[in-house]
Amino acid sequence: MSKQFLATLFALLFLTPLGAQTPLRVAAAADLEPVLPPILVQFEKNTGIHAVATYQSSATLTTQIENGAPFDIFLSADLSFPKRLIDAGLADSTTPVTYARGTLVLWERKDSALPPPSLELLRSPALKRLAIANPERAPYGRAAVAALQSLKLYDVIKPRLVTAENIAQAAQFADSANADAGLISLTSALTPRLSADGSYFVIPRDLYPPIEQGAVIISNTNRRDMAHKLLDFLLSPNVQTELARSGLTPVK
Amino acid sequence: MDWQAFALSLRLALVTTAILLAIAVPLSALIVLGRGRWLAAVEALATLPMVLPPTVLGFFLLVLLGPRTAFGRGVAAVLGHPLAFSFSGLVVGSVIYSLPFAVQPLVAGFGSVDTALVDAARLLGAGPVRLVSSILIPLARRSLLAAIVLSFLHTIGEFGVVLMLGGDIPGATRTLSIVLYDQVESFDYATAGHTALLLLGLSALALVAVYATSQKRGSVRSA
Repeated sequence: MSKQFLATLFALLFLTPLGAQTPLRVAAAADLEPVLPPILVQFEKNTGIHAVATYQSSATLTTQIENGAPFDIFLSADLSFPKRLIDAGLADSTTPVTYARGTLVLWERKDSALPPPSLELLRSPALKRLAIANPERAPYGRAAVAALQSLKLYDVIKPRLVTAENIAQAAQFADSANADAGLISLTSALTPRLSADGSYFVIPRDLYPPIEQGAVIISNTNRRDMAHKLLDFLLSPNVQTELARSGLTPVK
Repeated sequence: MDWQAFALSLRLALVTTAILLAIAVPLSALIVLGRGRWLAAVEALATLPMVLPPTVLGFFLLVLLGPRTAFGRGVAAVLGHPLAFSFSGLVVGSVIYSLPFAVQPLVAGFGSVDTALVDAARLLGAGPVRLVSSILIPLARRSLLAAIVLSFLHTIGEFGVVLMLGGDIPGATRTLSIVLYDQVESFDYATAGHTALLLLGLSALALVAVYATSQKRGSVRSA
């Protein structure tokens, strides 16, 4: 093994390549995973700013930011987590910017023996297991519980609920047929995989408080201008149309 | 402190450890006493669960045990309910997940027993069961103890597999590590701190008790 080889190995392990610019770091809620990547590609094409996203539950990202994770902008799935960061003095604005609204759907596999997804399916005793996201921390989980409560079904169905860590896992429970159906995000239901495997029913919006997805810019970023550009880009008419195609409701 | 979850974790760890011993003792004896290169493959296979991230292992089990595979449907027909989101499902997951922690110490322990003793016993006509029960286990007591302790603690602390396979159902699949995670994720750091401290304290006490009774301190141990 030559010295050069060892030196190269060392360089690969410990040194940041020269000239590589740190990208804009985006903390993004899990429901954006199917939505955001093409938008970030378009953003780079338009502005030359390279942005990379980390997808986690909004609660996990909030904890990470509170403990110094080096994110520049936080795209949450609700307003409470960004507000939490604002209150802690970790985010710039006084209120989070709502960039989209989420839609809750009831999703079921096409090969299920049960009736197709509808409010009737939720009332059916044949529905043995219903997957939801954790209502303590996932906004879609909170919306699912609120919807079931509005339908006066929550107490009946509670023993049959299986709780997933986040909305993507709730979709996984239903797609793997371990749960008979799932209350998941429209963004998940519209992914190629899930739209091939199943069908969905949009839960009427008056049954749950709106899932307002809020963004904040992290205070200790040194790339505030770039972060603002991304936020403006998200709110631009073209991107808002794009969001609508992916299962989010535009705010503009 | 969620005592229901605590009891559930204890029950899961006890059941898992018992099943693991029943599997790992014969398996380790086979690996040590047997002949043939295929045993290397067996040993490798028994160690592999350590490689997969627990959440990935849990996901594979979720799919494998689910109603979309013939295996999953077969199990559901026998048990009367699907394995996912049930205590028995967690037991299956835990046994696979903790297998290396039972097999590794036993293989090491059985392997360090003097082969002259094993050969002598064989000459005197001892069969494999007798070899294991009268020679290997008594001479590798510490390894057996290590296998029990590691399997038990590894299952108590198990998280990824339970998260993927469990569905967070109180009394059935909500284990203490899931409760702890929920508390941390809900910013309930004080409660999480108490839960973690109690778990650590109880485990430390149990470990000290086990190790204190398992050997005479200061005495010279024979190989």
